[in-house]
Amino acid sequence: MRRTKPLAVVAGAALLTLAACGGSGDGGETNAGEREFDNASETIDKDPEAQGPAEDIEGATAGGTITVFLPGDPGPDDLDPTNGWSVTGNSIQQALTSRSLTQYKRDPESTTGEMILVPDLAVDLGQPNEDFTEWTFEIRDDATWEDGSPITAEEVAWGINRSMDSEQFPSGPGTEYSQQYFLGAGEYEGPYTDKNTDWEGVEFDNDASTVTIKMAKTFPDMDYWGAFMAMGPAPLGKESQPPAYGQNIKSNGPYKVDSFRPGDELVLVKNDQWNPESDPARHQYADKWVFKFNADGDQTDQIMLSDNTESQTALSTQLGSSSYTDGSEVLGDRLVQQSSQCTSFLYPDYESTDLNWRKAVAYAYPYEDAWQAGGEVPGVTRVPANSIMPPGMSGKSDYFVDGEQFTFDPEKAKELLAESDTPAEISMIFYEADPLAVATQKVITEGFEQAGFTVKATGVQESPYSTWTNPDDKLNKSLNLRGVNWCSDWPSGLTMVPPLTRTGATYNTGFFSESAMDDRMDEIPNMELEEQAEAWGQLDEDMSTEFFPIIPTAFRNDLYAFGSKIGNPTGDGSIGAPNYKDLFVMQ
Amino acid sequence: MSSAQTAGPETLGRMSDEPQGKDPSTKKAKSITGKSPMRIAMGRLMRDKIAVVCLATVVFFVLIAIFSGVLQRLFGVDTDTVLPSQFLDLDGIPRPEYGPPYGAFTMEHPFGIAPRTATDNLAYWLEGARNSLQIATLATVVATIVGITLGLLAGFLGGVVDKVISFITDFFLTLPFLLAALTIAPIVSERFRDNPNYVTIQVTQLVLVLAFFGWMGLARLIRGEVLSLREREFIQAARVLGMPTHRVLLRELMPNLAAPIVVSTSLMLPAFVSAEAGLAFLGIGITSRPSWGQTLTQATSFFNDYSLYLWQPLLGIVALVLALNLLGDAVRDALDPKTRR
Repeated sequence: MRRTKPLAVVAGAALLTLAACGGSGDGGETNAGEREFDNASETIDKDPEAQGPAEDIEGATAGGTITVFLPGDPGPDDLDPTNGWSVTGNSIQQALTSRSLTQYKRDPESTTGEMILVPDLAVDLGQPNEDFTEWTFEIRDDATWEDGSPITAEEVAWGINRSMDSEQFPSGPGTEYSQQYFLGAGEYEGPYTDKNTDWEGVEFDNDASTVTIKMAKTFPDMDYWGAFMAMGPAPLGKESQPPAYGQNIKSNGPYKVDSFRPGDELVLVKNDQWNPESDPARHQYADKWVFKFNADGDQTDQIMLSDNTESQTALSTQLGSSSYTDGSEVLGDRLVQQSSQCTSFLYPDYESTDLNWRKAVAYAYPYEDAWQAGGEVPGVTRVPANSIMPPGMSGKSDYFVDGEQFTFDPEKAKELLAESDTPAEISMIFYEADPLAVATQKVITEGFEQAGFTVKATGVQESPYSTWTNPDDKLNKSLNLRGVNWCSDWPSGLTMVPPLTRTGATYNTGFFSESAMDDRMDEIPNMELEEQAEAWGQLDEDMSTEFFPIIPTAFRNDLYAFGSKIGNPTGDGSIGAPNYKDLFVMQ
Repeated sequence: MSSAQTAGPETLGRMSDEPQGKDPSTKKAKSITGKSPMRIAMGRLMRDKIAVVCLATVVFFVLIAIFSGVLQRLFGVDTDTVLPSQFLDLDGIPRPEYGPPYGAFTMEHPFGIAPRTATDNLAYWLEGARNSLQIATLATVVATIVGITLGLLAGFLGGVVDKVISFITDFFLTLPFLLAALTIAPIVSERFRDNPNYVTIQVTQLVLVLAFFGWMGLARLIRGEVLSLREREFIQAARVLGMPTHRVLLRELMPNLAAPIVVSTSLMLPAFVSAEAGLAFLGIGITSRPSWGQTLTQATSFFNDYSLYLWQPLLGIVALVLALNLLGDAVRDALDPKTRR
C-alpha cells in the first residue's frame, strides 16, 4: 500500500521531483522573468578557477542546530549517492555529506539564487577532448573521507562505475545519463550485474590522480553531470555493497550521518575530517542538522509563523498557500520564493487525438481554478507556462502555440472541438488518496465540461505515475489524457525535451512519436556547443507549433520559510531547494 | 468504536426520574390499569428532560438528513463544483463580498463558501448530515442483525457452534479496526474503480467495514443473556411442547432480549457517526460525496484565518454524537428494571 506517498501532491500529477538544475549555460542569453514571476531567472556561470576554502558568509557564526521541516515530503529511501535522483535527497546530500566531481556555489553577488558551477573533488571542471568524447578530471589530493583517509582517483572511478548499474540502482540518474552517454552504454550492465566484464569506460591513474571517462557519443554536458553525487567516490569493494551501503554511507562532506530513519528523520553532525581548504563552496557553520521528513504541513506553518524558540533555528521547505498572506506579513525577507525550474504538463495521447482536440483541451483547462483548489497560490507558486523548457533555461523560446497564452476559454475550446475529428471525451486519472487532488479533479472536470467535453475521471490509490509509465496497464490504455511534472537536471534543453518527447522515453506519457523530431534530438548534442541552447529552444517551438503533443500548464516556484535566527536565508537555484551550503545559526 | 456498551455507569437521566416505585401505595386506583414494561419505560423516558432534549436534537438532524434536498432548494444552494478563482483571494480565502471570514454573511451562501474550492458550505453541511446519518444507520442495522443472529445461535445451540462463533467473535475483537479499515478501503476502491456504480460501492464498503467491526459486543451480550434464559422454565416448556428451534428463538427468546438490543443499538449509532467522520478525516471514507469528516480535514489548514469553516462540521458532529449518546444512556436507564425506584 502506498499511503506513505506525499499527500500534498498536485492533482493530475503526483509531483515527480527529479533533480532540478536551473539557469542558462555558458552566460548565454537569459530570459526576463515570466509575467507574474517575481524573481529573475537563474543564470549558471562556470568558474573552473574557484578554490577552497569558500569565502565566509558575512556575519556567519559557528555552532547551533538547524532543523529542517519537509512537509509532505518523504525524502529519500536510502542515501546511496549512486541512487540519488530527487530534489530533496540530492539537495541535502550534495550540500552536506557527499561530494562529487563538480558542484554549484551560490553567486555572492546575486539576490535570486543564481549559481556558479565550480570544481569539487576535481581541481577544475574537467578537460574534454576535441569532440567531447573523453573527459579527464584531476582529483585533488587534500580531500578526505570521514575516517580521515584520502579520497583516491580509484574510489572516484569506482563510484562512477557503479552508476552504470541500472539493475542495482533502477531509480538512479545513471540510468538516464551514464547509460546513455558513457562508453558501453546499453551493453555494459554495471559492476554488480555484469561482474565478468572489465569495463574500460572509466580509467584512473592513482599516481597522477586522474580519472578519465570515455563516452559512447559526444557529451559536452559532462561537467554538469559531474555535479550529481552519483559522479562521486564510493569506498572500494564490499564496503559500498548495495543496498546496505545506502543505509550506512561514508561521508566526505562537512557533515556525516548520525542517524537515518527513512521517511522520518535524518540527523547530520560535523565531520571533523573534512578539510575546508579542499572545498570551494561548502561551509561548516552549524554543529548539527535535523531533517524532519513528512512533517505535517499545517503544523509546520504554525511553528514557522509562531517564531518560538523551536522555529527560530528551523526552516520549512514548503509554506502552505493557506498561510501565504500571514507568512508574507510575519516572515518578510525570511519567506523566500525560489524558482524550481520545473514545468507541469497535461499529456494527451498522441495516437488517439488530433491537433485541434489538443488545443481545445488547452483552452478548456481551468488553470487558476485548478491551482487554487490544489492549494497553490496563482501567480506565486504557479504561473502560466508557454513552452516545454522552463524560464531561465538557456535557449527557451517565448513562442505561443496559438498566438497567445492559453487561458481558460470554453468558447474557444468548443470552436476547436467542432473542427476536431476526435470525440469530445476525456478519460483521465487522479490520486484519490489526497483530498486536494480530489478537489482539484472536480474543478478540472467542471472546466472541461463547460467546454463541451465529457469527462471520465478514475481515482487511483497510488501515484498516477505508476499507471502512466506502465504501457501494459489496462487502465492506462483506456486514458487519452495523462500528465507529467518535469524538472531539469541541469540547465540544458537536453534534460527537458528528450526525456519527455523522445519515442519510448519513460516519461513520454502521451506516447508521442515522430521520427523527424527524434532525429533532431539526436543531432543537437553533436552541434557546436554555442548553438545547442538555441537549437533546443527552436526544437521546443517547432515541435509544439507543428504537433502540440504536450500541454504545458504551469511553471513552478517554491516558498521556503526561514526562522528568525537562521543566517543568510536563501535558496539554491540550481536544484530548487534551500541553500544548505551557506546557512548558519545566528548566535 | 466496536462494541456498544450496555454496562456503563447509570447516572444520566436518573435525577429527573419521578419516584415511580412509591406510587402504588398512594395511588392504588390508578395502578390497577396494567402497563406493559415498554410503556413504563417510555413514560420514564419522557419524564427525563435530558432525554427529551436529546431526542429533539436527534429528530432535528434526522429531519435535516431526510429533507436535505428540499432545504437546499429552499435556501437556493447546491453542492455543485464551481470554478473557484473568481470567488477567492490568492491564499484561497473567500473574498469579502462572498461572506465570512472577512465579509458579512450573505443570503446566497448563508454559511459562507469553502476556502480553496468555493463550494457552498450550507449545502455541504446538509449533505454531510445526510451521509453521516445514512451510513451510521445502515452500519448499525447490519451490525445489529449480525450480532443478534450470531449471539442467539451461539447462546442457544451451545457446543461446537458456540465454540466456533465465540472464536470468531474474539478473533474480530483482536483485529485493529483502524489498520484494517486503512488496508481494506484502498483495495476495494482499486478493485471497483472502473465500475459505473463506484459511488454506491464506496458507501457499501464503508458500511460493511463499520458493521463488521461493530457487531462483536452485541453478539457477546446476546449470547450471555441467552445462556441464562435458555434454562428457564418457559423455554423448556416450549421445547417440551415441540416448538421448532427458530420459533423458540424468535417468539420466546427475542422479546426478552428487546431491552439489551435497543440499548446496544442506540449506543452503536453515535459510535458509527464519529467513526465515519474519523475515517473521512483520514482520507479513507467516502470521497465522492460530501462528508463532515472530509470538511474537517480541509478546514484544519484554515483554522487560523477562517475558523467558522472548521466549526460547522465540528458542531454538527459534536451535537449529533452527544445527543445520541445521552439518549442511549437514558434509554438504558429507562429500560433497566434495577433503576426503578
